[in-house]
Amino acid sequence: MQIRAGVTQRLLIVDDSKVMRDMVAACLRPLGDVSFDFAASGLEAIERLALANYQLVVLDLNMPDVGGIEVIEFIRQQSKLSKLPILVVTTRGDETSRTRVLEAGASGFLPKPFAPDQILADVRGLLASA
Amino acid sequence: MGDQVDLKEFVGGFIAESDQLTASATAGLLEIEQANARNELRPKTVRDLFRALHTLKGLAGMMGIEPIVELAHAFETVLRSADQAGGRLGARGVELGLITVRGIAERVRAVADDRPVPRAPDGLLDELARVDITGTSAAPAPYVAHGWDGRLAPGERTQLAAALAANKKIYTLTFAPSDATSSKGVTIATVRSAVAALGELIKVAPRSQPASADAPAGLLFELLVVSDASVEQLAEAASSTPGRVMPVVGEAVAPASLELPADDEIAPIGRSVVRVDLGRLDELQDALSALVVSRFRLERQVAALAAAGVDVRGLRETCEQQGRQLRELRRGILRARMVRVADVLEPLSLIVRSLTKPGVKEVRLELDVRDSELDKAVADRLLPALVHLVRNAIDHAIEPIVDREKAGKPRAGTLRIECREGAGNELEIAIRDDGRGIDRDAIGRRAGKPILDTATLLDVIATPGFSTRDSATETSGRGFGMDIVRRIVVSDLGGELALDTAVGRGTTFTLTVPLTIAIIDVFSFECAQQAFVVPVATVEEIFELGDHNAVTGPSAKGRLPIALIERRGKPVQIIPLGTLLRIPCEVTAKKALVVRRNGEALAFAVDRMLGRHEVVVRPIDDVLARVPGVAGATDLGDGRPTLLLDLVELGAGVSNWREVQPS
Amino acid sequence: MTGLHVAFKVGGAEYVVSADQVLHLESFTEATHIPGAPAFVAGLVQVRGKLVPVVDLRSRFGITPGWSATREHQLDNRVIVVSVGSRVAGLLVDSARDVLRLDESTFQPPPDLVGVQAAGFVKAVTTIPPSRLLLVVDVPRVIGEEVAHA
Repeated sequence: MQIRAGVTQRLLIVDDSKVMRDMVAACLRPLGDVSFDFAASGLEAIERLALANYQLVVLDLNMPDVGGIEVIEFIRQQSKLSKLPILVVTTRGDETSRTRVLEAGASGFLPKPFAPDQILADVRGLLASA
Repeated sequence: MGDQVDLKEFVGGFIAESDQLTASATAGLLEIEQANARNELRPKTVRDLFRALHTLKGLAGMMGIEPIVELAHAFETVLRSADQAGGRLGARGVELGLITVRGIAERVRAVADDRPVPRAPDGLLDELARVDITGTSAAPAPYVAHGWDGRLAPGERTQLAAALAANKKIYTLTFAPSDATSSKGVTIATVRSAVAALGELIKVAPRSQPASADAPAGLLFELLVVSDASVEQLAEAASSTPGRVMPVVGEAVAPASLELPADDEIAPIGRSVVRVDLGRLDELQDALSALVVSRFRLERQVAALAAAGVDVRGLRETCEQQGRQLRELRRGILRARMVRVADVLEPLSLIVRSLTKPGVKEVRLELDVRDSELDKAVADRLLPALVHLVRNAIDHAIEPIVDREKAGKPRAGTLRIECREGAGNELEIAIRDDGRGIDRDAIGRRAGKPILDTATLLDVIATPGFSTRDSATETSGRGFGMDIVRRIVVSDLGGELALDTAVGRGTTFTLTVPLTIAIIDVFSFECAQQAFVVPVATVEEIFELGDHNAVTGPSAKGRLPIALIERRGKPVQIIPLGTLLRIPCEVTAKKALVVRRNGEALAFAVDRMLGRHEVVVRPIDDVLARVPGVAGATDLGDGRPTLLLDLVELGAGVSNWREVQPS
Repeated sequence: MTGLHVAFKVGGAEYVVSADQVLHLESFTEATHIPGAPAFVAGLVQVRGKLVPVVDLRSRFGITPGWSATREHQLDNRVIVVSVGSRVAGLLVDSARDVLRLDESTFQPPPDLVGVQAAGFVKAVTTIPPSRLLLVVDVPRVIGEEVAHA
């Protein structure tokens, strides 16, 4: 599936670990015409989403102040963001999370640890079907 | 597939970040150890620790370092229990935590030195699995402040309650992100740090609302902070204005001791119970309110059809049936929000205990509340008023042992709280003491006029600033006076307050409150110099009229003059609300509120926006006052009824509007 | 049989209502206007926390065409809060001072008076010696059997 040629896809990567953010960006660079913005907390993610348009969000659940589930719920409450693809990435051990996450409105769920080509494939799929 | 990304490249970053995380986890554990020694809780630190371990687990997982994953997971589970217990991590938990974090740090070193990583020790994993967080039933979550209750986790409520009990200054700051702020480098992250540096930041919560001058991106962040800094300093940290720094007021019980009161009756087990987030019930209630409003509209439309000669019998029957079903649903939701009065009053026994001075003044609390229940929203608002009345009774009314014995009274004063369901949707709560009673004549002299009846007596003592003592006593004199009790009971809740007293024998306050109330998030605005409110949920947008060129087309004689503006490439009708409501006025409208009706945007021109509030809305029952477009009334705090408008319904009446000639 | 009645004045004439219909007597400063309500409704007031619609008796009795928020209020103006069945409403009057014990056997059907009587608001008349004429008000009628929306 090709990403629409000529249009830079803007992705928001949200995780409170800098290493994690850098790893995700590295995994997704092969998409081609993409640019990345980063947020280190749910609050920053919400702020970024209010100030600019993104084509997809990669979201960690485990964050201070406002956790991932709250961020998803907040995003889905805004009519202009109701169709924004949200890929939740979360650490093993939260089996019940998957249901909660999808119920809250996430588009996809990827448990850590994941291989680079796994997240690349998931994001490609979400962008193509958006 | 192209070049495979090799995550091993990130090992340097992994080591650096893991070192930071293990260092801060160790510091956190030591902090908790010290707090334990002082019998204090650190729920926030427990949560930070949990996140640190969780992140370590995730990173180690990505790098494929299984032993660190196991250790982190095992301690993270302990921390999860500690968090659910109100942030309580005991000595054993701290000790094992320190060992675990040290174990993780050593294994990170091994990775850095390119040595094999030792397995996680089974003994330690076993110990961690067995750590018992005793007293997992946390102390009853204390009541906290208006506006934040319901948005705080139990640990945060404990923090806020402790700050309230210690009489600290607490504020809600509002930060509105925008392109302007972000281009200056001001973001929620920088604001958060700046505010956290000024005191204890308990919570940051986002709030979305229609885009407006106050919230250019349609987003606000509210920060709950305990701080001694000045209002100006706080405003600057939040990139806001002093006028928008709001003090937080509430009543709470500090969990001074963690044991439960011994003489409590255990609630009967065997009722099958589901814990429901109050927020979910609020959502249900919002949905129900929307249904009720649209049903009202349906009724009008049926009436219009009938007036046009259509046979509406079948339709009417269906409408009535729907009305009955809605009422059932409403009763069901309201029942779900009901809490037992006995549970609500539980903190009072702790308060009475803490105010008793053995040998000097003793008080016995009697609760006669049976199975009475009350809407949680009413209970939350009522509790501070009850707390004040109880404190007042103990401070002023009940005499010291010495005086009581001289007067032939029993040694301990009795404070009795009785609860009865009144006629209609009401609960009557009586707070009765056998203390000194209120001296009507003395109060009359202070007030400068004779007091003929208890209603006047109540009026006088509920006047702001009036105090029966010249200097505030330790517990009651914090500026939380009888005037606030009356405001809560009468204006906020729409109830009644009455007083009965006899000198030397005692005083009884009787509060009559509704069993249930409807609370809605509203915008208030001024139109033709009258204040109105409208539900936030119905407003899509608010904009400045002055920014647009309005074109007033030719309007047929006697019809509503409607202006047209262009907004985002589309024409939008601007309806002058004052004219629509037939309120004569000279002021030019400056703002427009946009609602959507049948997919079409309608803008109503109003004078100015006043604010945003969560208010209790009461239905207007009487036929004389029921009109299309008015969905209820509330009190914004000035004692006058303020009407709640249904702009969508008003929009429907635009084409029928005809100018009325003065007779 | 005798009963207590609250006496009040509207436009120079004196009226009474039975005290068992009266809940309280309040002074009046302002009412929240209800757009679209009948012209004789002054608006909503909050009395002891309850929302009460207030009927302006001057307009109701035809002395003025309708309630006007800019009309001057006298300090003597009172709102008589009445209850009829489950309804609670307020009557805005020029002044209200006396509570009288009246013998209901002296009540007579109202003679032909123009205007007020025609609308059926007065159900009886009586006099107190020497010549004080009191018009007995039909409260349920006043607070709105015929409600015409604008």
